[in-house]
Amino acid sequence: MTPTPTASDGLGTLAGKAFGAYRSGDRERLSELVDLVTPVLWNAARSQGANPTTCEDAVQTAFLQLVGRADSIKEPAAVLGWLVVVVKREVWRIGRGSRREIGVEQVPEAPTPHLDPEAQSILSERQRVLWQHISSLSPRCQELIRVIAFADRPDYAAIASSLGMPVGSIGPTRGRCLQKLRVTLGADTEWAV
Amino acid sequence: MTSHSEAIDAIDAIDLSNLRAVRRLYAHVDPVPPGLTERMKFAITVQALHAEVAELMDSALLVTRQSDARTEPTPTDSVTFTAATVSLMVTATSDEDDDRLTIDGWVTVPGALIEVVTTEETRSEVADANGRFVLDDVPHGPVHFVILTDPEDPAVRPVITPTIQV
Repeated sequence: MTPTPTASDGLGTLAGKAFGAYRSGDRERLSELVDLVTPVLWNAARSQGANPTTCEDAVQTAFLQLVGRADSIKEPAAVLGWLVVVVKREVWRIGRGSRREIGVEQVPEAPTPHLDPEAQSILSERQRVLWQHISSLSPRCQELIRVIAFADRPDYAAIASSLGMPVGSIGPTRGRCLQKLRVTLGADTEWAV
Repeated sequence: MTSHSEAIDAIDAIDLSNLRAVRRLYAHVDPVPPGLTERMKFAITVQALHAEVAELMDSALLVTRQSDARTEPTPTDSVTFTAATVSLMVTATSDEDDDRLTIDGWVTVPGALIEVVTTEETRSEVADANGRFVLDDVPHGPVHFVILTDPEDPAVRPVITPTIQV
């Protein structure tokens, strides 16, 4: 087991550094930020159950708001969490055709995602087993686990909070969702092999 | 230092391994769409520059169908972009070893500053009295141009072109 990475290893920290440099005038660092955080934002959007077009619009809106409000963002180091909040809110706002902004606490729980038969067919046997176990978790746990899987351990707590999860949902401790995944996978002999 | 109770619940190698498997699963069944990050960067640039977006015009040498250049860069040799205040024509020619390109450009405003934005870097060139400019050693891949018709006057809106594939 490798030692716990320091905070500087996290995706959120790298994103914060790139955004800080951008605000200080190094305009090209924004491109680095986009490359770093887009996978997390895409998965945060898709885990809300919206279609790809809506998700792409939500991610774009988040980036444009970031640029438009760059100088008024109080904690540039927390930019990853800031973007996740905006993406989640935007998916729901666009999805409901609403013009007003809504708070993250008003966002309803994500529906249980399903996999169409075509997507099912491209999975390996082991991935099918994993999918079944993920599907057995609550929608909130599925959302949390999917999004943090695209980040680094130092980011888990901040991402959970951005998704509207209670403090202590995850990181540095395992938390309920990751514990459930561990138990359900650990009990499956097909997974253990 | 971790207390005893934290140690029991701390995220460990098994959790991280499970999360890696989750990541691979979602990256497989629902990947980030191709070109998404490039589209995000383009949208950001347009907004950050308060730029006018030039239109990709039809061209005799345009080899592909007219496509939505925002979502699908058009493989081409020579293209023309048009905006309200300026037009830009660019031709890309492969260098001898085919690794790099030379871009010959012509812009309707002599003295305009042309920035070429590639995956590697942003470079700029000032068009001569005839509106001509040359950029060599350009990599293959997505590229877009930013045109400053009056580089001295910050009040003049830049013009940005859609991304093309060269």
